[in-house]
Amino acid sequence: MSELRETAQEIVDFARDAGADDAVAEVFDHRTHQIRYSNSRIDASNWWSLKHAHVFVAIGKRTLSTDLLDLASAKASVEALVQGVRITPENSAYTGIASGKFKYRRGRADPKIVAMRSPTKHVHDAISAAVREGATEVGGTLFVRHMRAGIASSGGALAEDESSALELSVRAFSQPEASGHALCCTHKLSGMDARGTGSRAGQMAFLAKDPVQGDVGKMDLILEPMFLGELMHSTSHMISAFYVEVGMSMFAKRVGKKVASEEVTLVDDPTMPSTSQRAFDHEGVPTRRTVMIDKGVLKTYLHDTSTAKRFKTKTTGNAGPYVPIGFDPPAAPLPIHPVLEPGDMSVEEMIADTKNGLYLNNTWYTRYQSYSRGDFSTIPRDAILKIEDGRIMGAVKSIRVSDNMLTLWKNMDAISKGTEEVFWWDEVAPPSTLPSVRVRGMNITRSS
Amino acid sequence: MIDEDLVESVLDAAMSQGRPLLAEVRAEATESRNVAVKSGVANSIVSSTDAGMNVRIVLPTGIGFASSNGMSKAVGVELSKRAYMLAKNVRLKHPAEMSQEQPVRTSWEVRQDKALADITIEDQVDFLKGIDATVTKTKAKVEGRYFEIRTSETRGSFANSDGSRISSYLPRVRVDSSLVVTSKGESEQSMREFGGTGGWELVESWNLEKALADEVRMLKTIIDKGKMVKPGKYDLVCGPEVAGIAAHESCGHPMEADRILGREMSQAGKSFVTPEMINFRVGSEYATVVDDPTIPGSYGYYAYDQEGVRARPRYLYKEGLMNEFLTNRETAATLGGQSNASSRSENYLREPIVRMANTHVAAGDFEDDEIFGSVKDGVLMHSFTEWNIDDKRYNQKYVSREAYFIEDGELGGPAKRCALEITTPGFWGAVDAVSKHVKHNAAECGKGDPAQSMAVFTGGPMMRLRGVALK
Repeated sequence: MSELRETAQEIVDFARDAGADDAVAEVFDHRTHQIRYSNSRIDASNWWSLKHAHVFVAIGKRTLSTDLLDLASAKASVEALVQGVRITPENSAYTGIASGKFKYRRGRADPKIVAMRSPTKHVHDAISAAVREGATEVGGTLFVRHMRAGIASSGGALAEDESSALELSVRAFSQPEASGHALCCTHKLSGMDARGTGSRAGQMAFLAKDPVQGDVGKMDLILEPMFLGELMHSTSHMISAFYVEVGMSMFAKRVGKKVASEEVTLVDDPTMPSTSQRAFDHEGVPTRRTVMIDKGVLKTYLHDTSTAKRFKTKTTGNAGPYVPIGFDPPAAPLPIHPVLEPGDMSVEEMIADTKNGLYLNNTWYTRYQSYSRGDFSTIPRDAILKIEDGRIMGAVKSIRVSDNMLTLWKNMDAISKGTEEVFWWDEVAPPSTLPSVRVRGMNITRSS
Repeated sequence: MIDEDLVESVLDAAMSQGRPLLAEVRAEATESRNVAVKSGVANSIVSSTDAGMNVRIVLPTGIGFASSNGMSKAVGVELSKRAYMLAKNVRLKHPAEMSQEQPVRTSWEVRQDKALADITIEDQVDFLKGIDATVTKTKAKVEGRYFEIRTSETRGSFANSDGSRISSYLPRVRVDSSLVVTSKGESEQSMREFGGTGGWELVESWNLEKALADEVRMLKTIIDKGKMVKPGKYDLVCGPEVAGIAAHESCGHPMEADRILGREMSQAGKSFVTPEMINFRVGSEYATVVDDPTIPGSYGYYAYDQEGVRARPRYLYKEGLMNEFLTNRETAATLGGQSNASSRSENYLREPIVRMANTHVAAGDFEDDEIFGSVKDGVLMHSFTEWNIDDKRYNQKYVSREAYFIEDGELGGPAKRCALEITTPGFWGAVDAVSKHVKHNAAECGKGDPAQSMAVFTGGPMMRLRGVALK
């Protein structure tokens, strides 16, 4: 048995010996190297290492979790945790953890990524390529990740997983208000195309030059994968049963109903090779490909064992961490790797087929007046290109998309053949594989 | 307690790596709890202990930062070696510089009247269930109910090669609520956050059962009786929550020196502000915005920042003029001057970067009722729901959660989803009256890569803007 899985099993054994009915232990060993650069030079080189375990225990309907950071004293900490759970109030919504004989497909890290010591060459390549396209300032990040995890549970989960990732983000400016952004996210070193990514960012920055104030009103929008990835963050979270239960989802009471155009088939696929490929969810259930929206019809919410029982269905293998991570609440089912199935148009065909619209490179700050209605706005950033009669006709600035998210998915009438893995900062997350899309008749507003 | 001899020995190891311009060691130990109640039922309970350290080394060739959980000499020595190699491999064309700051030897702490550690998990769950029951008993139909308490107690020890040695203790508590009220087939949402530094006495002072019961009644009133604003120009009175978000988004963020200098250019973005814009007019003479980490009990409180610089109030906009940027040692060196103690990080794992603390509009001379007494045709936007701003911090939007029409100086009926979409100079230039009474709200500010969530206050007094376009 390998080290992390063994440690996880030991923690579960400690918990059971101390009297826990249910126990889940997930042990992580993450190493991350980050290079931050701006103004076409590297600012800082950061490295962090975190080896720890998320531990969940239950006695009857009493539950308690911890983030165990001192693995050397795991036995004493787990015994204290089990003592603690005896005096916690009952969680009547708790219905147990997953149990069964599970089969896993263990992931593997690319040894070439794991062995990388000085990845600065990729940063310099990206900067040079962007500058060659006309960029005057280039900034971004390069992450080199190596992640290992082992899991064990009293329900029979026992597995180990490993993954690696290279994530390059390049934002290029050709003028103070003209920029382009491109990403390269890959689980293999051979997938890293720093020059190509820098070139794309530089090209978009060049096209974004001399922007004029954008018009307001209804327009057709062509969204690059990065833009769509930002919208996917809230869209895929709202498919989680947790957000449905707390009233923060436009998908509530819509399973089996049309929530998007027939062009849209949206799946969560943690099994495909990607930077977020995972063998198991956070309660040890093997991950699977889950069709969330099939040809525009909502098929299911994302579930863990507890939410599945409440919704009278089965877990989709999307159990989230037992401890809060970032802005995500603990014990909430979460999307792992959303994929929008490709269509049959090229981006060039979409542009040629658009009479009055905008081509949008990226966006951020998507916020909702009402998650249950889906009323939102988002602020396009980087290249915002005007499309007139099928041609790109210059750049605009200072606009906002202010509309409804269900309307956006229902008005999606064209999807590109090509897809791209995108993951950027806290906005384009979780890592997703997405095409470019066209959305008809969205409302554009701006400052008065 | 953190072993300060250990921190000292790790600093020795860091300083022995080549000839650093600056070496820093920070060790932290945090006890935290997170208790959540969803729809009246305990949803998740988490109790954790964390401890770890970081080493930052500044060489002429660059800055290296390494961090890890675990607190031992062996961990510290490994981090020192790694931070040195990282700094060496950056190979800057222009040497890295940090501002010169006076070394400090001190300790600081925030005291608790009612220790967070003495409030059991059961007490906390019961407390949240009590709020849930109160909210449920109102006549409003509250379909979504989620409440969460987060408490933490962090002990820190900082040492740098300039001679600073600072130990600290910071207890912090926060309560979040998420509420969705439905009526007549419509719904409205509210997400509130209450927070501070101190003990359980803060939670008791927030009177949350009343505050959140009032909140759901208000949402029902907005659904049942609210009317849309006819698009046009109005006088707008912003309540403290709206004044506060504007202070944070369109003053605090654009005045962060790292954004101004481009270091956040690919994530949080740059700024419409440039280094030479000190004394540039951005608002009326009534527009003064302060960022003050030293407000006792505030959610963003600290006495010394994470580079060991003593905290003080920073007047960002002063009487409508850009007055002072938020700086750390790196940006202060570039701009030429001293750091004003804006260096913060979420925890020991992350590099410290320029952050706000408690950003609020400064008090004026008016009483609250005088602010809308002279408004003939206007709107009071008491609080907001949807909001956003572009990455230059120039074009912003605030949509009301609670708003009322003002007619001939009197508050009228509720206004529904009133939207203000305006530029930063447009907003601050329209201010013509500010009340005496400042109120604060807790918030989590996101910035950095990986994103670092940072505890802050936003706030301000009631504030009047003349003739702005509402939709």
